[in-house]
Amino acid sequence: MDCREANEKDIPERYLLNQLTDLERDEFEKHYFECASCFSRVQTGLSVQEELRRRQSVPGPVGSRHSWRAWGWAPAFAALVLLVAVGIWWYSPRGRDSSPQVSSSAPATHVTGSAPSPSSRTPAASLKELARIQPPPYSPVVLRGAEDNAQESFRKAMQYYLKGDYAKAIPGLRAAVKARPQSARYRFYMGACYLLTEQVDSAIEALSKTVSLGDPAYSEPAHFYLAKAYLRENDVPTAKQELQTTVRLGGSRAEEAQEILRQLGK
Amino acid sequence: MTAPAEELRNLAERIRRGDASAEAELVREFTQRIFVMCVVRTHDREAARDLVQDVLMAVITAFRKGQLHDTDKVAGFVHGTARNLINNHLRGESQRPRLEPISENLSQASMVKELEDAEQVRQVYQALEHLGQEDRKILLMTLVEGRKPGEIAAGLGLTSEVVRTRKLRALKKVADFVKTKMSRTQANFPHS
Repeated sequence: MDCREANEKDIPERYLLNQLTDLERDEFEKHYFECASCFSRVQTGLSVQEELRRRQSVPGPVGSRHSWRAWGWAPAFAALVLLVAVGIWWYSPRGRDSSPQVSSSAPATHVTGSAPSPSSRTPAASLKELARIQPPPYSPVVLRGAEDNAQESFRKAMQYYLKGDYAKAIPGLRAAVKARPQSARYRFYMGACYLLTEQVDSAIEALSKTVSLGDPAYSEPAHFYLAKAYLRENDVPTAKQELQTTVRLGGSRAEEAQEILRQLGK
Repeated sequence: MTAPAEELRNLAERIRRGDASAEAELVREFTQRIFVMCVVRTHDREAARDLVQDVLMAVITAFRKGQLHDTDKVAGFVHGTARNLINNHLRGESQRPRLEPISENLSQASMVKELEDAEQVRQVYQALEHLGQEDRKILLMTLVEGRKPGEIAAGLGLTSEVVRTRKLRALKKVADFVKTKMSRTQANFPHS
């Protein structure tokens, strides 16, 4: 086999798809063991194939259209919540000096002196809103062959996750992480569960570790949820850094991260 | 890049004479190729990593003993050894369930390898983001959905030749992007 034949018959791609006969496969392997150009094509093709498959099998974290749809409403929702919060404040007894309830229940001077102006109150209210999270989407992946211990623990834990019982999901996720510490997927969902159960320090630790593992499918959502965790801690500068990283990575949460940054900048 | 035939011939002979640097050159020369072959045939990166070590050890042992009779066929010998060991592995795998426990104490070497892999995956991810949407679609239809250029061409309103050309160009773009980024990373972290 030579390069021309490999090119004409799409051999490298068919090789990666296991569509060659045993003989063709042997011949092509012998060829690329001596041909830098064809090997480069196979090597790159394999990396691209794995990345594209990963994108298809991970509906939540990065780059899927589904996740765009799932999160597309978030900026609008955040804006709506903000408007409602301002509206409630404006029409609340503390919001209007002329309210008879205010004047009858507390000295007018006290109300005037203690009630913040809309412009000073909005950031505090919005910070709480901006720290609010939705559980990251998760769809079970059907695996071929027998499960190992880590996969089994993860699968069982995620059954609780899907029911919204995040506290019960944590022990199984911890077992999965212990069995396979290099899995960004397991750590990411463990971090999310900690965050959803208000264990913010543990969430930050798990999500930071997820980032350090460098799996692009989970790095971007991990940065995003880290930002949420820091917002809960009122650590706005660090939250901003995480949001800026999310934007820079340009994944499915970039737009929402940009919107939060914009609101934080007010 | 594979070394010229003359260099490979010399490599085998140097290993037979006990030159340790020649063994290191052989490892550099063939590790990636064996790894890709193992991944494609086993669909298991962990198993592939172990198999690469087994193949290299078997080849080096054979070369040390002077068992390579035709020094023109170094690459063929490595490929044949890899094929046999992969087949042995697959036969063994088919006879037992895959329930091997995962060791928590990964060796430093495999940790480094994991990080290199993660870096490469990150670069591939970035490279794909730099491609146009239609090029990404062509790669997806080719490499994941297994469609032929003619089918893709019909779906996208192109000719088969254009699909082939764009597929090759897109793969080359990814390869160049990753190569550039990886060489920068290695320049920044020469010891990693």
